[in-house]
Amino acid sequence: MANKSMDSASIYKQTLLAGLWRENPVFRLLLGMCPTLAVTAAVKPALTMGLCVIFVLLCSNIVVSLMRNLLKPHLRILMFTLTIATFVTIADLFLKAFALRMSETLGPYVPLIIVNCIIICRAEACASKNGLVVSIIDALGMGVGFTLTLCVLAGVRELLSTGKIFEAQVMPDWFVPWAAMSMPVGAFITLGLLLGLVNAVSKRKA
Amino acid sequence: MLKIKHFIQQSWLLIAASFLFGLLIAVTNAGLDERIKQNEKDKLNDLMKALVTDANDFKIEIEGVQIPGKRGRVTETDIYKVLDDDGNRIGFAFVAVGPGFADKIKLVIAVDDRCEKFFGFKVLSSNETPGFGDKIKEDYLGEQFKGAPAGELELVKAGKVEEVDSKIVAISGATVSSEAVVKIFNTYIDRVREQLQAKGFIHATKALRHEENKSELK
Repeated sequence: MANKSMDSASIYKQTLLAGLWRENPVFRLLLGMCPTLAVTAAVKPALTMGLCVIFVLLCSNIVVSLMRNLLKPHLRILMFTLTIATFVTIADLFLKAFALRMSETLGPYVPLIIVNCIIICRAEACASKNGLVVSIIDALGMGVGFTLTLCVLAGVRELLSTGKIFEAQVMPDWFVPWAAMSMPVGAFITLGLLLGLVNAVSKRKA
Repeated sequence: MLKIKHFIQQSWLLIAASFLFGLLIAVTNAGLDERIKQNEKDKLNDLMKALVTDANDFKIEIEGVQIPGKRGRVTETDIYKVLDDDGNRIGFAFVAVGPGFADKIKLVIAVDDRCEKFFGFKVLSSNETPGFGDKIKEDYLGEQFKGAPAGELELVKAGKVEEVDSKIVAISGATVSSEAVVKIFNTYIDRVREQLQAKGFIHATKALRHEENKSELK
């Protein structure tokens, strides 16, 4: 009995940590590239996008896990999309109601969470095959991993493009902002460098 | 009968989920709709107040003015009357939309009470390139429209920014976005003036009367 609970705790821990590093959706699985490149010009929109993804991922994993035994194999993707679209619409409405300016900053990228591969991937790979607890932990791990990655990327870009973080001046007066870092080219360069860094660290660890 | 049974067996979950999720969205929308509309109204009011500093209140004067666009497309806008503290009308404001460099640009434009001069514009929403096109939100472009004659505007690449006339000097590095703003002004102003004249809120200006007389003589 004790061994069984130990095993469960170990599984939960591994599931939670997988999203943060070993199976990080952006750095290891290269999923969700659209928001990763598009909304990381500053930390605030990146954090908001991350929180929206956590909400949608959590809700969709819960619903998919609860109905996993009722799913018909050929209709499962349709069910996943329907579930995800519902929670994305709700998240979008909440943003428009309580954070209009942020909703405008994020533009079409909130509705585009519907086609974010991370969410459909977790529904297919985890929630449709596991119980409620594992699905919730998986959603939290993946969601937090995605959010942290977005924030790191956005932090580097915002710092170099404006000299600020969260709109607070960080860089000294002599620093000349690199406008290119706030544009798509800055997103690609930063993502490429961070991917290289993560790969180098992973190789060293191995 | 067997086919219907098979269909229901296969898709009952999908049908049930569609109804349930639809209901969930409807309930959320019903709960937040008022707040969302109020947010949009507040934002529009704030921008109009920033444009016309003496303004105290805004009320819709003409609803659903049709603006003809490219390829026969028609957009609609409402014309607001701008009221001061004493309730006197001091101008008009309207929302204008047009294509920008990356996405649609949505502006709030204000004109004086006789529709002869612009009060200026504010950007309601845009997705122009950060560091370049999004400079349309800055004073460099905005200040040039303040007091400019409410008629056909012309975009020039070089000129005196401080001169108040119908020539608007483009932002360096954001010519396309500057041009888009000027095009939006030119698309809307004539139609708005026509509507204000038709409803008797303003009288024809000298220049316009001259144009009308010329066309009558022809």
